[in-house]
Amino acid sequence: MVNLRDSEGRKWNVQIGGNPLSPISIELEGEKIESANITIFSDTHPNRIIIKKDNLEKIAFCAKVGDKWWIHLDGNVSIIEVIEPGISDSGTNESAFTAPMPGKVLEVLIPEGAKVSEGQPLMVLEAMKMEHRILANKQGVVTAIHYSQGDQVDAGSVLLDLESN
Amino acid sequence: MARPEWMEGAPNPISSVLVANRGEIACRIIRACQEMEIEAIAIRSSSDEGALHTEMADKVISLPGESLADTYLNGDAIIDAAKSSGADAIHPGYGFLSERADFAKSVISSGIIWIGPSPEAIDSMGDKVTARRRMEDASVPVIPGREILAGTNEDSTIDSLVDAATSVGFPLLLKASAGGGGKGMRIVREPKRLQQEYLAAQREAESAFGDGTVYIERLLENSRHIEVQVLSDNFGNTVHLFERECSIQRRHQKVVEEAPSPVLNEETRSAMGKAAVSAAREVSYSGAGTVEFLLSSDGSFYFLEMNTRLQVEHPVTECISGVDLVEQQIRVASGLPLPFSQDDLSIRGHAIEVRIYAEDPSQGFLPATGPLVVFVPPEGPGVRLDTGVRQGDEARIDFDPMLAKLIVYGSNRDQAIRRMERALRSFVILGATTNIDFLIDIMRHQSFISGETTTDFIDNHFSEGWVPKQTTSSQVLLAAGAEQLGLDRNRLSSTSEEIGRTSKNDPFLNLSRVFP
Repeated sequence: MVNLRDSEGRKWNVQIGGNPLSPISIELEGEKIESANITIFSDTHPNRIIIKKDNLEKIAFCAKVGDKWWIHLDGNVSIIEVIEPGISDSGTNESAFTAPMPGKVLEVLIPEGAKVSEGQPLMVLEAMKMEHRILANKQGVVTAIHYSQGDQVDAGSVLLDLESN
Repeated sequence: MARPEWMEGAPNPISSVLVANRGEIACRIIRACQEMEIEAIAIRSSSDEGALHTEMADKVISLPGESLADTYLNGDAIIDAAKSSGADAIHPGYGFLSERADFAKSVISSGIIWIGPSPEAIDSMGDKVTARRRMEDASVPVIPGREILAGTNEDSTIDSLVDAATSVGFPLLLKASAGGGGKGMRIVREPKRLQQEYLAAQREAESAFGDGTVYIERLLENSRHIEVQVLSDNFGNTVHLFERECSIQRRHQKVVEEAPSPVLNEETRSAMGKAAVSAAREVSYSGAGTVEFLLSSDGSFYFLEMNTRLQVEHPVTECISGVDLVEQQIRVASGLPLPFSQDDLSIRGHAIEVRIYAEDPSQGFLPATGPLVVFVPPEGPGVRLDTGVRQGDEARIDFDPMLAKLIVYGSNRDQAIRRMERALRSFVILGATTNIDFLIDIMRHQSFISGETTTDFIDNHFSEGWVPKQTTSSQVLLAAGAEQLGLDRNRLSSTSEEIGRTSKNDPFLNLSRVFP
């Protein structure tokens, strides 16, 4: 069984086996879906994989970076994360605001403990000489601010905590 | 070494060029040098070790340091590198020092040929306020606008700001006088946001250009951004190589460019071409330059600015005119006259360029980083790729997020659009998020196909943001299959996995849906 999560956050459970590989069962968010007549082959070229659906063969490109598979099929790229068994599903902390990219904190617009409304600007980051406003995604209270003006932040750094009230 | 034939009779022969740039444009210039049988010398910072442009050049000079200020923006170090490597000329490319008059001046006074216009021309066009005045003198139409006079204190500056804004009217555009590339530019729709946006624009301008001067222009909505390529020699000959349409932009940065414009009629084309030639003549221009115009919905056009350098989007002009602009730049710098006149030039076919950015269009076009584990560009008739990266490189945060430019050429616009879509679909980049899927949606968009390309195209048609195609069960099965087959353990993928894990800038750290 392979447990996966797509970039929209939907969970897929896939059982796949045999030679050539074919799906035994696919579940999307716990619901079984049909996947008749599909087989998957490896390819002699690295970073390629072949899918055969209803007797039509298509070449896809694939690469794994960290826990994520990047799949290029039919001119579209999809990023699909492999969820290792035993790791909690709640990968994201609902109240944490993370920096979308490395940069510098130009301005903190609210004090700790501030009540904010949805869409209110909280911080201004600068990266690549452009300013980016960090907006509240919901109404709530800012319970902690982790950086102050002038600080450098890495991508993914938790900037502040915002709790719903 | 015997001189190449083209250099016969050139007053200032050039046998080697130092390319003071990096990435795709450095590669582009190096290729031109190789075709002209002159030596190409690259420079690099320590973080650009092994970069594509250094591999292509005949010689590489390492500039100590990693920061831009120490390397690609370090005029003194670049001139020293040119002297020590015996370069006859310096080509600045675009960005970096290309529009810095003081650098051009130092190059010339060191006895090195500057492949570009005179420092005086750069100066008068570089300051947007001066440029507006010069264009008014040359009877080139300019957008109604006002300067903001910096007062002795903040209050008097704000008074001047409110005064200027009132006379221009809302909506308006705040622009950095020294600006470019969308930096220090802000749209203001209502008076209550004026002060806040002005301060942000001023700050951005100050940090990006070291000059916080901002001026106000009327915002012409639903207008088109059309620019005219000009080429001048040092004998008083100036020609234009028709227009490029660069209306499709995000955050004031161009995304799709094409030539010719899908809407210009012969009359406007010729009027705009003449205005561009007048603009170039007004500043005694030399070499390749671009005069940008806004074409408003009523058919009138206004001078925006002149870029005194090679443009990112120059390849579309090369495709439709058959003129190699970099070759002409080098010829003009060597003192040769233009080999053609306006009457020799005509438009053939249609060309489109898209900029491939490492960015996430579904997250407000935020720059993305990551290893380019797979980088397989498209091929075929009418396809040109100007890239600064190749497979195995990394999309990094320290430079512009543009990875490459994909250009297609077809016998007409419809064919070029279909060709671009086909090329984009077969362009595979895995490991760093790019805008390729978004560009495909633009190529398929009915308004793009019918030529309704205005500067607010992306805001209008993707006002809720862009949403990628939903992941299909086939893609999920491929991921599961690849995992099961252990394809990540083969040679190429395992290297990439290492890169991914050690990368500080793992793009996925920020894929949290919490962020707006």
